[in-house]
Order: sequence, then C-alpha cells, then structure tokens
Amino acid sequence: MSKAVLVDVTKCYGCGACTVACKLWNGKEYDDAKKPTVGEKAQLTDINWTVVSKHKVTDASGKTVWRFAKKQCLHCEEPACASSCLVGALRKTEEGPVVYYPDLCVGCRYCMIACPFGIPKYEWDKSFPEVSKCQMCSSRLAKNEAPACVSVCPNGVMKFGDSEQILKEARATIASDKRYIKHIYGEKEAGGTAWMYISDQPFEKLGFKTAVKNQSLPEYTWKIINKIPAALVVWGGILTGVYMITNRRNAVKSSKNNENKGGKS
Amino acid sequence: MIRINSNITFKMTGFRKLLMLFSGIFFVLVFYRFAVGLSITNLSDAWPWGLWTVIDVKLGIALAAGGFTTAGIYYVLGIKKIESVVKPAILTAWLGYCMVALGLLVDLGRWYGFWHPIVSWGHHSVMFELYMCVLLYTIVLTAEFAPIFFDGIGFKRTAKFFVGLTGFLVIAGIVLSTMHQSSLGSMYVLMAGRLDQLWWTMALPILYFSSAVAVGPAVVTCESALSGKTYNHEWDNEAMPFLAKWSGYVLSFYFVVRIIDLIVRGQLGRLFTTFDAQTFMCLLELIIGSVLPLFFFWSYNMSGKFMDKKMAVRNAIFIILGVVLNRTNVVITGMWKSAGTGYFPSTQEILITVGLTSFGILVYLFISENFGVFTPHGAEDEDVSVRSGVGASGVPTT
Amino acid sequence: MEKSNGKTGAVSRRTFLKGVTGAGLTGAAAALTGCKSTGKPAGGTGWTPQQYNVPENWPVQVRGRVPIDPENPSIVRDDKKCILCGQCIEACNKVQSVQGYYELPIKDDITCVNCGQCSLWCPTAAISERDDVDKVITALKDKNLHVIVQTAPATRVAVGEEFGLPPGSIIEGKMVAALKKMGFHGVFDTNFTADLTIMEEGTELVTRVKNALAGGHGGGEGGHHAPMALPQFTSCSPGWVKFCEYFYPDLLEHMSTCKSPQQMLGALAKTYYAKKKGIDPAKIVSVSIMPCTAKKFEAARPEMNSAGIKNGNAKMIDVDYALTTRELAKMMKIFRIDLTTLKDQHYDNIMGEGTGAAVIFGTTGGVMEAAIRSGYFLLTGQNPPELLFNLEPVRGLQGVKKASLNVPGVGELRVAISHGLGNARVLLDQLREDKKNHREPRFHFIEFMSCPGGCIGGGGQPRTALPPSDAVRQARLDSLYTMDAKMYKKRLSHENKEVQQIYTEFLGKPNSELAHQLLHTKYTDRGSQLTAKKKA
Ligand code: SF4
Ligand code: SF4
Ligand code: SF4
Ligand code: SF4
Repeated sequence: MSKAVLVDVTKCYGCGACTVACKLWNGKEYDDAKKPTVGEKAQLTDINWTVVSKHKVTDASGKTVWRFAKKQCLHCEEPACASSCLVGALRKTEEGPVVYYPDLCVGCRYCMIACPFGIPKYEWDKSFPEVSKCQMCSSRLAKNEAPACVSVCPNGVMKFGDSEQILKEARATIASDKRYIKHIYGEKEAGGTAWMYISDQPFEKLGFKTAVKNQSLPEYTWKIINKIPAALVVWGGILTGVYMITNRRNAVKSSKNNENKGGKS
Repeated sequence: MIRINSNITFKMTGFRKLLMLFSGIFFVLVFYRFAVGLSITNLSDAWPWGLWTVIDVKLGIALAAGGFTTAGIYYVLGIKKIESVVKPAILTAWLGYCMVALGLLVDLGRWYGFWHPIVSWGHHSVMFELYMCVLLYTIVLTAEFAPIFFDGIGFKRTAKFFVGLTGFLVIAGIVLSTMHQSSLGSMYVLMAGRLDQLWWTMALPILYFSSAVAVGPAVVTCESALSGKTYNHEWDNEAMPFLAKWSGYVLSFYFVVRIIDLIVRGQLGRLFTTFDAQTFMCLLELIIGSVLPLFFFWSYNMSGKFMDKKMAVRNAIFIILGVVLNRTNVVITGMWKSAGTGYFPSTQEILITVGLTSFGILVYLFISENFGVFTPHGAEDEDVSVRSGVGASGVPTT
Repeated sequence: MEKSNGKTGAVSRRTFLKGVTGAGLTGAAAALTGCKSTGKPAGGTGWTPQQYNVPENWPVQVRGRVPIDPENPSIVRDDKKCILCGQCIEACNKVQSVQGYYELPIKDDITCVNCGQCSLWCPTAAISERDDVDKVITALKDKNLHVIVQTAPATRVAVGEEFGLPPGSIIEGKMVAALKKMGFHGVFDTNFTADLTIMEEGTELVTRVKNALAGGHGGGEGGHHAPMALPQFTSCSPGWVKFCEYFYPDLLEHMSTCKSPQQMLGALAKTYYAKKKGIDPAKIVSVSIMPCTAKKFEAARPEMNSAGIKNGNAKMIDVDYALTTRELAKMMKIFRIDLTTLKDQHYDNIMGEGTGAAVIFGTTGGVMEAAIRSGYFLLTGQNPPELLFNLEPVRGLQGVKKASLNVPGVGELRVAISHGLGNARVLLDQLREDKKNHREPRFHFIEFMSCPGGCIGGGGQPRTALPPSDAVRQARLDSLYTMDAKMYKKRLSHENKEVQQIYTEFLGKPNSELAHQLLHTKYTDRGSQLTAKKKA
C-alpha cells in the first residue's frame, strides 16, 4: 500500500525539529551560517533534505502573520526525476518513496533539470558527488515506521498514512474548516504526489511552485519515446528501400544522371 | 614540422601552437577536475547544466550532423556529386562525437561510472536513449571512418572489410542520428512549465532534428571553405551549391514548423509586444538563424541562380549561428526565469571548452593531413583503389 | 513498400516495446546480479532517539522541541547539538506553561518568555544563552570606556558550582574580587537596587492599599495616574512580566510599575553615579551579572532607556550587557581566574550596599518577605516584630504559597507567592474569575517568579544534574537565607544607608517624580501577538 504524508501548514511553529530529525537520521551535515534549515533564507541544499521556510503573509484580518512551510521532496506518483534517469538510479518504490541509489548514478544531473519542483540538489563541493534529496525515510517505511521528520513533530503538522486515507482526511479538513483554502497542493500537481499540503494561505505565498502542471511530466516524454520503436522500424525501412532502389538504378547504370525524388519523406 | 616517420608528419604553425597550448591546458584541467569534482565550475543547484552542456554536448552533436546527412545524401539518395565532402564530413562527425563523448565524461559528476547505462537501463529516459544512440553512432562512425584510417596506415584488407559494411553502417547511422538528434530536443519536453514558452513545445524533437539536418551540411560547407584555404583544394562547384540548396529547403521546413508552432501556442505575438531578454534572444535567433539565410536562399533560388562560394559560406555561417543561438537559448535563456538566479561560466569551464575544441581541431588537422581525406576530383593516388572499393558496395565512383 | 512498412511498424510496436522492456529488465537483472549492483539507497545511515522508532506514528511521551526565533535576544540553539530529546518542551510546556498554551497557527511572533528554563534542561546545552562575553571583554579592553558591573543576589550562591564547589556555596566576596581583577571600574550590588525596589514597590503597595481602604480610585502621589488595582504583582522577574503581557494582558494594571533591580541600577549608573563621579554617561558601559536569560530581553526592551532620555540620547540604553551566571564563569575562565583562591573583597561605594532583605530577592518568597518587613515599617512607622524576620509560610519550594498577617492600623494583609509560570496560572485564573464575578480581591500582594525556586533556579544559572533538581535549588536557597540571617548586618531595606543617601541626595522620596522617571516603567499588551488558549 502506498503511503502518503499530509502537511498542515497552519500548525507549524517553526521549531525545526523535523529538519534536525532528518539530519540525524540521514547523517547530513549542519551549516547554519550558509545553509540554514529554518527561516526566510532556508533552502533545500545537498545537506538540507528538508527545510522549514518562513513567510510573512497577511491573515484574514489584514494583519501580517508568519507561516512556516515544511519542504522536502514531494515524492511524485510519476516522478520526472526517475523517468529522466538514464541508469535508473532514482526509483519509485511501492511504499511511495522515490529513492536514490548513489552507486548507480553517473552524475548527469538530468534529474535536477527534470524535477518540476526543483528538489534534487547536488554535492557541488565533493570530488565524487551525489544527487541529494529526501528519501522519505524509505528504510523506516520498510519497517512500517513513519518518516523521521513526521515522527518528531510536536504539533502533528504532518500526518502519515495510506495515501487514500490521507487524501480523504485532507479533503475532509479543508471542507470542514473554512479557514483553509480549497486546494490540496500535491493532489494533482505533476500528476499527484505522496506529500500533500493544506494551508490557510495561497500556496504561491508560501514559496510553492504553483506553475507546475497537473499532468504527469513523464507522460510528455513517454508520448515521444513510445513512438520511437515504430519510427525506428518505419524510418529504417524507408531508408533501406530508398537505398536499394538507388543501388539498383546505379547497377542498371542508366546512362542518364540519376534523378532523385526528395529523399526526406 | 613534426615528423613521426616518413609518412606521418605534422606541420607546425603559430596557430597550431596556440591550439596545442589550449589542449595542454585542457588536459591538465581535466585531471584537476576529475580529482576535485565540479567545484571548479559555476554550476549550482539552480544551474545544474551550463556551458559544457550547451557547447560540448548539444552543439557538438548538432554540428556533427554533417556526417549522417552527407552520408545519407551520397549513399542513400545516390547523389554522387557531393562525393568530395563525404569523407571530410564523416571525419568531422567522428571527431565531433569523440569530443562530445569526452566532453560528456568531463561533465559527468561520477565520470568513472560512465559505463553504468550499459548495464543498468533507464529505458524511460530520453537521456538513456541519447546515451545509447551516441554510443552506437560513435561506433558506427568509427566503422565508417575505419577504411580511411586503415588505408592510411596500409591495412588495405581491413579497410576493404569495412567498406563492405558501408550500406548497413550508413542506414544505421541515419536511424541512430534521427533518434538522438531529436532526443536532444525531447530532453527539454520534460521541462514543461519551466522552459520559456518561446522554446518549449512538444515539437522540440522535430525542430531539433530538422535544424540538425540543415546545419550539418552548413558545417560541411564552412569546413570545406576553410580546409580549401589550408590545403589549397578547389571549391567544389557541384557539391557546395547542392548542400546550400539542401540546407535551404530543410531550414525552410524548420522555420515553417517553428512559426506555426509559435502561432498555435499563441506565442508569436509576445515576440513583438513584449521586450525582454527572452524575446530579444528569440528574435535574434530567428532572424540570424532563419530569416536572413532563408531570404538569401530563396532570392537566389527564385531567380534560378546557384550560390557562389561567398554566398554559400555566408548562408552557412548564418545557419550555424542560428543553431548556436537556439541551443543556448533552450539551455540558458529559456531557463533563466525559472532558475531564479543567473549563470555565467567560470574561467575553468571556458578553458575546458576551448581546450576541447582546440584538441579536436588539432586531431582533425593531423588526420586530414596524413590520411588522405581530401582527395580532389581525379587526383590519382593509391587511395583511389579504396574509394573505388566503395563502388563494391553499390555506389560507383567516378 | 512504405505502406507495408507502416503496417509492420504498427504491428511490431507493442512487440518492440515488449522487447525493449524485456531487454531492460534483463539489463537490470544483470546489473543486480553481476556487473553492477544497485547498491544501497541514500540516507538512513544515522539514528533518531528511541521514542521515535516505533511502527506507524504512535503517540509518545516527549516529542519535538520548542521553537526559538533566531532573533531571540536571550537564547540561541545550536542544531548540531540537538538530539530531539524533547526536554525543552517539557520545561516550556509543563513547568512554564508557555509552549502548548497558545493556538496554532501562530501570529507574527514565536512565543517565548525568555526564561531560559529550556537551556537548563537541555542535556547537550544545545540551547544556551546568547553569548555576550566577547562584547564585554572588548569593552573592558577599551581604555576610553568606564565599565561597571552589578551582580544579582542569586549569582553569589551559584557561580561557585562552575568551579567545582557544592551547590549553594557562598562566594560573594570572591566573586567581587574576580570582577575587580577582570578590570571592571565599578563593582556594584544589585542588592542595593533590590532594597531600593522595596522602597519603591512597598510605597506603591502602601498607596494601593490605602487607596483601597479609602474605598476610592485615584492618582498616586506625584500626580501620576498610577494603577490602583489590588492585588499588586511584583515586577522584578522579566520572564514573568512578559508572560503576563502575553497571556494575561487584562491583568497588567496589577503589575507594579517598578522596574526590576537590574534596570533600576542601570538607570542610576548613567545618571546618579555618573553625576556623582563626574563621568560622561556616554562612556559608561553598564554590565549586569544575572541568574537569568530573560534579563537580556529586559535590558533590550525599547522603553529601558530612561537614563538615555534623561541624558538627551534616547539611543543610550540603561543596561548594555546582561550576562548570565554561566557567562560570568566562562569569562573568569577566559581570564584564567580561579575563583576559589581569591581573597574576599567588598562592593564599591554608593551602589554597593545591600541588606539581608535584598539578598533573599534571589529566592521564591524573598521579595515578599523583604516587602513585608519594610511594608510594615512604611504602614506603621515601626520596625516589624521578630516573627516577620523568619516568615516561614512564604519560604520553601512549594509551588503556590499563601500567608496573611495583621498589620496594626490596616488589618489583615493577605499575600501569595508563586514560582514557575505554570503555578502562576493558578493564581491568575483565580483572579480573573474573581474579577469577572466582582469578588473582593483575595490578596493584596502577589509575588511571581518566572523560574522554579525563584532566581536561584534561573535559566542563566549553572547547569545541574538533570532535570534541575530541587536539592540544588534548596541548597542555593538555604544559603541566601543564611546570608540574610547571619552574614548581612542589616535585614531591613529601609535601613540601607546608601538607599537613604540616594533619596536625600538625588531622588527625593520614594515614588517621587524623578523616581518615576528613572525607576518605574510601562508594560506592553502582547495579547495580539498570539492566540492564547482558552483554558488549558
Ligand atoms: S544525475 Fe544521477 S540520478 Fe540524476 S539522472 Fe543523472 S544518473 Fe540519474
Ligand atoms: S522523510 Fe526522511 S528524508 Fe525526507 S525530509 Fe523527512 S526525515 Fe528527511
Ligand atoms: S517539527 Fe513540526 S512544528 Fe517543528 S518545524 Fe517541523 S513541521 Fe514545524
Ligand atoms: S532539550 Fe535540547 S537537545 Fe533536547 S530537544 Fe530541546 S534543544 Fe534539543
């Protein structure tokens, strides 16, 4: 059964416990000065698989308020990164995580370009760099444990469970509480993701990429790739045909110069 | 003049020394880069791809399209008048692809794993298709180039064996090229929503392929003009006008698709109503790369004239510039807004690209001087026997 | 040919796809078994505390941590050291009733009363005070500056612990010696302003009580519209003050307008002291050594610039740096001063005298006891009976203490004491309830201390065994009472000679115009910065 996490932005108070849990669990370094994990400057980096970004927004009464948005890989149902990887170093597992196998990776960085959310980061300073992104704690999930960040949150910002159940809950929450905007970020984005968000603030104000298409991106490519075999056969056939005709003509050695039809049809 | 033995020599000039210097720097830098990683570049999480991807890979492959186009024209369509350009074109293509492979290796973060795709298939990936095609096509090109090489070093039999494969190789080459030239475009289809609408389209593969088919002969034209100067061989008055025409027609096709696509996706208007870096670069690309060369081409074509050397070379240059602009725009200009920050290559990045190109030119010069690549019409030497061997596979030589 | 090819293509497409996929799988299999193994997935090489390693997402006893704004003037956290033990939440939530007592979403503030209890509980010292030691050392090195320091009552029974002495070791004289050795130009005692606080706050209380007895509302002496509400709350614990501003802004009229002793001394140093010594107040750097992290916040409150305003420079603040006891110990170690080997020295004149009544400010109930001693005097004109020098009901570590005594001519004076903000809620909610129902106030005077045990258990005190134990608190607290009973010559604030001197020479009388300017303050309603939970 595929797992999902629902993040309720309104409940987060920005303690950053989740970011520490992630670093503890995954053995990532800390660099508060250059790569902070919480606050207005917080950004996903090679060592920050998750961050809590701070946003100043306006609440219903017109007052400036703060919101904290816990960000990490969204674990697409149809991940563009995995579809882009030429060695299958990124894989969608059955439980939901999109997992990275560093030993396979060749470091072409196409996944970074491919991800519509700009999630995969790179260890630019290392001699033998790896792509770096949240693994949704796949090894914990395998033991049926919640991701580390989920389990440490003091406010229950994140709910972990079976994806259908989680989606149902998300729908129920935004339907029953009128503070929430009527959008579940991640329900449809890029064809749906395992991490979903609900919020009382428009998502673009919380630094979410809202231009992301609803269609799954690999589908675009697949539309092209799946034509290749046929094209290959047809194109090869045509070329062989033309080649043979040309040759026969030459063999006949007509005295006239060969007249050619446009070859590129 | 460097003399390796009585047959193999290499002339030294100031320009060549400069190229050697750059190549030297290139190799030193490459070792350094392999040791310390990509930190010598200005690449970042916002710009995972930069100069190397644009020039060493994307442009390299596009500009090396001369190999399969001329081979196709010559062998498949049987247009013999372009014979004089086929060999140099194959040589350029072969070298081009070798350089692309080298460039890619330098660009790969975990370069020592370059062989992984062979055993671990990411068959959903355009990149995988590209990798495989480039790999296979390089092999094909090597085989196509083999006769020249073996002949040059005197292994006539081996040369003959490869000549026998020509038909198969040419067709395989065209099929593989079609796939990966268009894949270079398909690669950016995945960037839906991020690549600027001026460039993002489902037609990217068609556009990439057709522009490659147009630019291939253009490169061959320029190359021929240049090498003609160096080696004092004549401007081929039959082959060159034909290539110019070929490029003209294919480019027309490209341009029509490009414009229709822009219209269908409602982007054409933006080109003229908004002014920003994106629209400017796009206009520049379209004017230099398509409008100007097409204008010259059609004005000549309509009046039934053949292009002379100057016109043909000028048009070719336009087309090449157009492709350079187009590839740069897709990788850099079009991604600028969604990247959020800017990018300019570091000195090391530039030096590596310059060095790689220099090295390529040096190898080209070396081979063309020693392996009888340019054999003007009717020139009689022992190579002819091999070339007439080509006839054995069906295409007779003059 | 072309047509048939097209057909072949259509038919063979699926087959071809299958072929490709099949070959891909074979390749993958080969990769898995032979040439190239997939290896291990990234991540998962570390650990998390045991409570988080349970199937699913079961509730656990302790989870997460408190939020700390990076701009917090009092405390900082080093993520590298955080082990997500959750102790800080225990302190913040269970002891101080701050975390978890406001609704989510938050507004434009990360609720924190700056008490620093979390920093005491944090087992790895990931949470710690914002370190100002370097700034003080820089100031000390600057020959142009006149750097003075004051030390709070509770520091003298705790700083020794940082040098291996048992909890509660009385080390006042040695601490003074160390400060002088470090080069402070004036070493003063916060006890002095504690006594002064008693005079000001006691007078304020007397006014409020008398006003109530007269059954009316009215301005205080000097024409200030001083609040008259009873009970009066003590205001010397800045964590408590902020807590009240956050959660009980409706009760702020009960808060004594007196500044805390730290701020009183700060304001006087750049006015009274500067004038008497002929020093340019702009050259004075005023440092305080406090058992408390909230003192850093208090010193930085925008309204804490009365000396500045008096001197015509609103940017000049009364107390420049507030260091914790821990920072003091660190500083001594930087100066390579072994506290234990020093010879006792005395505080410097004009702001260096303190009484036993002042020194017990450092423990829960102490302010109350001191206030009662002098309040008795202020109300009756007589010194209190012996009994009031050992007021057992207000002493000790019980969370909420109550006492009442008969003051001749006034009647029954009822007081209450709480320490640890969780305990404060008991009294505050009760008061709110009473006020809603228009009941007579149960108390005249309530002492609130933010930290358990009072200042001796402050968030800036030396870290103790975990969790901060009552044994340590008791030891420190006993020592303060010992000092009061046995070591200090005087035990009544109003008998402090230097206090008497400052009134005659500078301030006039308690609650005078000038006293109001320099020694009293206003509070901020912070109710809009959070959504307090209705009732926890
Ligand atoms: S960088 Fe690595 S993981 Fe990403 S697409 Fe390339 S090979 Fe795959
Ligand atoms: S799921 Fe695991 S890897 Fe991903 S952000 Fe949370 S802790 Fe980090
Ligand atoms: S642990 Fe929870 S409350 Fe704390 S920052 Fe993360 S999501 Fe927000
Ligand atoms: S007490 Fe310290 S170590 Fe424990 S969770 Fe809080 S900050 Fe982290």
